[in-house]
Amino acid sequence: MIGKNRRKRTWFAAAVLAAGSLFATSVPANANSTGVSSSEIKLGITLPLTGGASFGYKKVGDAMNAYFEYVNENGGVYGRKIKLIIKDDEYSQVKAISETKKLLESDRVFALVGALGTANHKAVAARFGLQRNKIPDLFINTGFSGFANRAQYGTTFPILPSYAMEGKILAKYLKEKYPNKKTALIYQDDDFGADVRVGFATGEYKFTQEVAYSTATIATDAAKIVSDLKTLGAEVVVTFGVTQATGAILGAAARVAFAPQWVLGSVGSDATTLRSLGVPAQVIAGAEGASFLPSPTDTSDEYVKLFQEVNTKYNKNVSFDNNVLVGMNTAMLTVQSLRAAGKNLTRARLISAIQSKGSTFASAGLVPLNYSRTSNVGYNGYWIGKYDSSLVMKPVSGTLEVWTTDSAKGPVVKSNFKRPAMPAKGLPTNS
Amino acid sequence: MESLLQGRGAVRKRLLFFILLGWALLIVGDRVSNVRLFQGAEIAMFTIALASIVLLTGYSGQVSLGSGAIMAVGGYAAALTITNLQTPIWFAFLMAVLVSATFGAVLGAAAARLSGPYLAGTTLALAVGVPALANQFNFLGGEQGIFFDVGFPPERFGSDFSQDKWFFWISSFLALVSIFITSNILKSRFGRTWQAIRANSLAAELAGIHANRMKILAFTLSSALAGLAGAVLGMNLSLVAPGAYPLSLSFALVTGAVLAGISSLPGVMLGAVILVAIPEIADLVAGGLGDSEKVTTHLPGLIVSVLLIISVIFTPNGPGENIRRILHKKSAH
Repeated sequence: MIGKNRRKRTWFAAAVLAAGSLFATSVPANANSTGVSSSEIKLGITLPLTGGASFGYKKVGDAMNAYFEYVNENGGVYGRKIKLIIKDDEYSQVKAISETKKLLESDRVFALVGALGTANHKAVAARFGLQRNKIPDLFINTGFSGFANRAQYGTTFPILPSYAMEGKILAKYLKEKYPNKKTALIYQDDDFGADVRVGFATGEYKFTQEVAYSTATIATDAAKIVSDLKTLGAEVVVTFGVTQATGAILGAAARVAFAPQWVLGSVGSDATTLRSLGVPAQVIAGAEGASFLPSPTDTSDEYVKLFQEVNTKYNKNVSFDNNVLVGMNTAMLTVQSLRAAGKNLTRARLISAIQSKGSTFASAGLVPLNYSRTSNVGYNGYWIGKYDSSLVMKPVSGTLEVWTTDSAKGPVVKSNFKRPAMPAKGLPTNS
Repeated sequence: MESLLQGRGAVRKRLLFFILLGWALLIVGDRVSNVRLFQGAEIAMFTIALASIVLLTGYSGQVSLGSGAIMAVGGYAAALTITNLQTPIWFAFLMAVLVSATFGAVLGAAAARLSGPYLAGTTLALAVGVPALANQFNFLGGEQGIFFDVGFPPERFGSDFSQDKWFFWISSFLALVSIFITSNILKSRFGRTWQAIRANSLAAELAGIHANRMKILAFTLSSALAGLAGAVLGMNLSLVAPGAYPLSLSFALVTGAVLAGISSLPGVMLGAVILVAIPEIADLVAGGLGDSEKVTTHLPGLIVSVLLIISVIFTPNGPGENIRRILHKKSAH
């Protein structure tokens, strides 16, 4: 009898506690202008700040913030200050989902910007129904070509040229420059890697050997991959991996004196990051790669010069590299998007503004932006460069040649794109 | 009066209690934000998982550190069913239960001769190894995992019915049903048999109980519950991936079970609430300690570990036992 009562009481207490603990009512704000107040616009980003892919990429969030602070100090966007909430997702999908949940529902951000990672973002888009709930998803840090599919990701605006595009452009380059060499491709074992292989297939390029790697085990697998390629006698090796993986491969190759012609996929090619991962400078010098931005050390470029100044002032003690350049470039595009949406800022108007005016935005990109009412594609091309002895990437043929294409079966064509001049002091005044 | 404790009367009362609880959750679900609904779904998931530990460890005395592995088995079974066969949701969960129960039966047969630290070690190895298996086989999706898409809420609920609410309903319903069934099993002679085995396996054998067979049964049923919890976890994330079933999950479950009282079922709801609350508390604490992301990432794990150590030292049978002892002492004077 006593046992039964005590048991019943425990059940009741536990049940009441469980049910009651859920009680935290909140009246949902008008979803269309969530995260916008008269003084502030809240944006959110998830990216790896810790963990196996964080090297280099972790700088992107703070770089964006630095630029936003610069803009905030100069009037913000129509008087509103931009607040970027940065969350660490450790490059894990599970964490990307839980951190994005906090951004969308606890922090109640207006828009997501710069989300990093193909697999992560696919999971997030599916879990939160970004398309269905009309949540703006700006300038994501992934080149997976599937994100340009407007039926599935209508509110997502990729910015990086897609991996399929990069594959096609590199395929053309490899065919022309290294026609009879033994070539190898090292790629990541997920959608990121699959996408670039599609590009190479469309560009009708066959590698002598293709090797998949997993981010979880690359640190230990790199030595074996490199020794296998050395045995094969590979003369040109294309690495298409995150910087940490690329660094592991290059480091392992240096240790066994394996020195093919390296062609580094854009995602993992930043020299400063590779150096900080311990890759010797002489391994990076001479490596080739594709880029759509100016070299981050080219201070004769007006965008690079301004961003370096912003970095020095607002992002102290962080070395300026490609990751910082990408971050600030994205931030500048974000500011222009917010301005173009007008003072009456809603999610719908933001999406519409990018579609109608995005292709005219000023950016550091040396290739055109392709946003329109029928296309969410951002940059669509690359120039091929080679690292010189001081680790500055210079155009491989001496003069800058920009190649553009699409993610499907279109040809690779030379582009005559002229980059728009930077707004004065790097502060957009568009509307 | 004693007869009310056994037989159909008690079962009917329990059924009524669960129905009322279900009603209460329905009403609560209408009034809270999406964040809370998601947490509610998480609580429901942990409730099922903790119940599996109460059955296995609290009742039959088998220590398992591998709940995460079995949850992964259930989660993947459900995800593969839905993704490849496009079956209705309930069928996917049924598959999760069946596959993980089978896995548990095999595991139980292998583990029946092990006990104590040897069993713990074996199950620990599973917790590490099983999720990593996904990387080896392409059809298991590798590191990326497989999408687990239960679809949108039925249209008759209207457009305001959020995905989170749908997950909350499904999770809570499954939790209520499985806890109801489990509590009936534990109150029956099965439960008493397991407790006898746990207390003294040899004496139980002498009393005519097939200890090995019953232990395997415990493993099977406990795995069925853990597999269901794993499927619910996958549904809530819309994804099953190795990263969703890390080692820290197995440890968190053991901690939650010990904290809430490993040998009694009512505590599982409390344990589930605590487990869901820990990351929130960690966030608050981390906020006070400055905004370092590293702190926020590792603090929940630290809290879980510290709680486990403290509860094992001071309340090995759960805080309920200590409270009971204090009250008993007071009343004896």
